[in-house]
Amino acid sequence: MSEGMTRVIRVGVVFVVAALIPSLFVLVAGHNPWRVLETLLLYALGPQGWSEVLVHAIPLTLIGLGVAFAFRGGFFNIGADGQLIAGAVLAVFFAPYLDGWGIAGLLVFLILGSLGGAALGALAGYLRAWFGASEIIVTIMLNYVMVQMISYLIRGPMQETSRFWPQSYLIPENCFLPVIVQGTRLHAGLFVALAMVIAFAVIQRRTVLGFKSSVLGANPGAAAYAGFRTKILTVVVMAISGGLAGLAGAVEVGGIYQRLQDNMAEGFGLAGIAIALIARLEAAAIPLAACLFGIFFAGTGALQRELALPFPLVWIIEGAVIFAVAAVQWALPSRKAVA
Amino acid sequence: MDVLFITALLAATIRLGMAIGLAAIGEAASERSGVFNIGIEGIMLSGAFVAAWGSVRTGSPWLGVLFAMLIGILLAAIHAFMVLVLRIDQFVSGIGMVIFGLGFSSFAARLTIGAKPTSVHGLASLDFGAISHIPIVGPVLFGQSPLAYIALALAVGTGWVINRTAFGLEIRACGESTAVAETLAIPVKIRQTACILFGGATAGLGGAYLSVVQVDAFVENMVAGRGFLAVACVMLGRRRPVVAFLAALGFGLAEAVQIRMQTIYPDLPYQFLVILPYVAAIAALVLGHSRRRLETV
Repeated sequence: MSEGMTRVIRVGVVFVVAALIPSLFVLVAGHNPWRVLETLLLYALGPQGWSEVLVHAIPLTLIGLGVAFAFRGGFFNIGADGQLIAGAVLAVFFAPYLDGWGIAGLLVFLILGSLGGAALGALAGYLRAWFGASEIIVTIMLNYVMVQMISYLIRGPMQETSRFWPQSYLIPENCFLPVIVQGTRLHAGLFVALAMVIAFAVIQRRTVLGFKSSVLGANPGAAAYAGFRTKILTVVVMAISGGLAGLAGAVEVGGIYQRLQDNMAEGFGLAGIAIALIARLEAAAIPLAACLFGIFFAGTGALQRELALPFPLVWIIEGAVIFAVAAVQWALPSRKAVA
Repeated sequence: MDVLFITALLAATIRLGMAIGLAAIGEAASERSGVFNIGIEGIMLSGAFVAAWGSVRTGSPWLGVLFAMLIGILLAAIHAFMVLVLRIDQFVSGIGMVIFGLGFSSFAARLTIGAKPTSVHGLASLDFGAISHIPIVGPVLFGQSPLAYIALALAVGTGWVINRTAFGLEIRACGESTAVAETLAIPVKIRQTACILFGGATAGLGGAYLSVVQVDAFVENMVAGRGFLAVACVMLGRRRPVVAFLAALGFGLAEAVQIRMQTIYPDLPYQFLVILPYVAAIAALVLGHSRRRLETV
């Protein structure tokens, strides 16, 4: 058998297996996988669902870009969830002072979000560079810390004025990201995400920073030998990575929630890792992968409503997709491996 | 600080650290053979659910524990296949396992034993009669769950196998240099597979410990980072099973202390106390490094 034929068969096997795993769970749950897939796609691509897919894809794109940026520098940022919270908290904390600033207020709001996430990312980078603490573990641990911190803030110092609900005060209206399609939740964060896709591509391809971080990721020894200040570079790469997640936090607040609350964008950090990997860390592919995951999130929500299939199905699908895409690398050995 | 308080604190340290410790033992073996598995968290979640489900369905917590080990081995086999046969990046496969485990445990739990915490037939603690009632020592050392003694035996046993037997020497060789191990005609992948599966089994046990000993219920995402803490323990213990196990007890102490501080300082927001084990993990990784640096000087 020719080599090309073998590859086609291998890729086919991978996709069949990936589709079989969630199907199996759907079957055990007593549903017809075809009908589930039909419901999922009809909703996600239908008149109501398409905008929800994009609403999910906005933060997922930003987080995916952040994770990919760290990956390219050779670092694993699993802390997007915590960085997202840090960004949202910092932005909402200063939001009342931005009242009356108009569009400039919105800009500052988003920048504050990025700074919040960047600070947390930089902390992980600093501990990695100076103390050799694994950024994998540190970023994960910071997720759990940040979940508790937002829980404290929205029941304590940042709680809404009636002090009843576990949520923060509303941000001023000029910090809202306006809805861009009437009758949907789709907001101007879409443009923020697309701008960051372009910025990511430009930084990676056209700037010294992009080049240095790629060298650091490919060969840390060579980076040090070339005289790069690898410790500072580590902090910068992790700060940018976290900054994108923090920006996602500000965008979620400005576009959807308008305040802080529990369980904002829950689980998007893990999805962001999957997105970065599926997109093979390529800027242009990340928004597409994010849309795919947007379909999963929005579609699984519809499955829960219409067929009473539990929402955690989305994680089973995501896990299967990660295994499948990783296995495609095995099926197509000529392409360069991720990370 | 009276005797009762210290007794309760130490007993709780062991009780709360055991799930992390069990997972850390197998992960240490797996990493010693050269394969890293960040997916422990997902395996523990699956184990916690399966143990709870098995205990509810069969009425026997021991069968639940057995099922949890089996699901752990099954998931670890997938990791082994991905990493050793398909040569997929260990981290990527592990993250897939974290996400899949989260999905499997929550999805299956909602369809079977319910999304709300369901009470589970738990494993009773052992009672050795008179010696279990000696002050301090009794409740701490002789009043734990049978799984705790199994964990201790596993930690010591695994350390002994890795450090003192020919089999362990082969495992260490695989972890140090695959090339050298292959030259010595050691079946590297078989040794590594054995260690990965062992890691899956202990992670499944760790999950089972949570749902049938510590909480007597399954709650979605109940592992809450303990799998990642287990990986941190292995880093702190530098891949030595016994040291990693002791590090896990350190996190158990942090957890026991924070729970007690919640009642001692009711005015302090509890969120600042809940984060203690996670902050301790970061601090330990940072301090562990400076100690390493001193050793090399």
